[in-house]
Amino acid sequence: MPLAHGPGCRTLMAMTESQETRKHSPGSWLRIAAVGRNPKTTLIRMVVLAAVCVVVFKYILLPVRVTGISMEPTYHDHSVNLINSLAYLRHEPQRGDVVGIRLTPGGEGSSTPRVMYLKRIVGLPGETIAFINGRVIVEGTALDERYEKWRCDWNCPPVTLGPTEYFVVGDNRTMPRRDHVFGRVQRSRIVGRAFL
Amino acid sequence: MKIGTRLFLIVVVVAAGIWIWTLVHPSPDRVIRKRLAEVANAASFARGTGYFANVTGAERLAGFFATNAEVDIDMPGHSRQSLSGREDILQTALGARATLKSLSVEFPDVTLVVNRDKESAIADLTAEGRVAGDSDMFIQEMKFTLKKIDGKWLITRVETVQTLQGGGG
Repeated sequence: MPLAHGPGCRTLMAMTESQETRKHSPGSWLRIAAVGRNPKTTLIRMVVLAAVCVVVFKYILLPVRVTGISMEPTYHDHSVNLINSLAYLRHEPQRGDVVGIRLTPGGEGSSTPRVMYLKRIVGLPGETIAFINGRVIVEGTALDERYEKWRCDWNCPPVTLGPTEYFVVGDNRTMPRRDHVFGRVQRSRIVGRAFL
Repeated sequence: MKIGTRLFLIVVVVAAGIWIWTLVHPSPDRVIRKRLAEVANAASFARGTGYFANVTGAERLAGFFATNAEVDIDMPGHSRQSLSGREDILQTALGARATLKSLSVEFPDVTLVVNRDKESAIADLTAEGRVAGDSDMFIQEMKFTLKKIDGKWLITRVETVQTLQGGGG
């Protein structure tokens, strides 16, 4: 390999040193940290990332803030959660799923709701549901509810669900029955499953 | 002028014309949504609102209703309330403003169906309210029936809807 000598070589070495100094100067590091080595690529990445975030958090994982105590102790008042709107693309809602329920009728073309109920599914379409001394009775058999920590004394007569209806209730059954919103809901109102 | 530029200018002029037309002649859907937002705004009041402002606010709210409007509110944890006529609504609004320190009302999700005759419509919406001193907000599905009377969209009926049926609440 040829070695460089002489005054020309010194000039070349000086230039390389100056480039190295510029490369490692605090200003250049800051610039790289802020906009990357290639600002154009960084800008494209940022636009793509923003677009992905908008699509994901507006249409797929809907951010919600829990308000109220009806899902205690599973979900606390003012906690944050996500509703996965794609959860029921391949299968129908299951018993035990915590779901987001829209208050206004859904359907094709309807926008993503801003306000939802957060409830747990205890009854599936066609089943008969009742509350006896606080226990959920499905088709005459008491439901094993491990998520329910506090017992209650609610009593509700049997309700038979329609072919597209689910029975939903909150986990906090210590609330007075009249203050707790629960009951039958149409499948079309179920937006998705709680992600967290 | 090149043909491409001419075409572009024609498209721009047509688009601007359509935009101005929609501004001048808004669709019933747009008018009703705007009106519902105004209703929510009129139903809200801040802490420390004076007597005359309260009266004006209540009158403004009552003005969105037809003279023979009916209101039937049945919310969980509250006693059922039925109002009949604009005067009744005005008195209740005044009473609420005298009792509550402040109230913030919003209609975040509105599903609107305008009838074919474009003279009546039904709005299914979520009412979200926050009362001063109350940590919880109230949320209720409601149905508003509106009719076009003398060129104005007025509310003829308001009723609460049970989102979850056959349970509590």
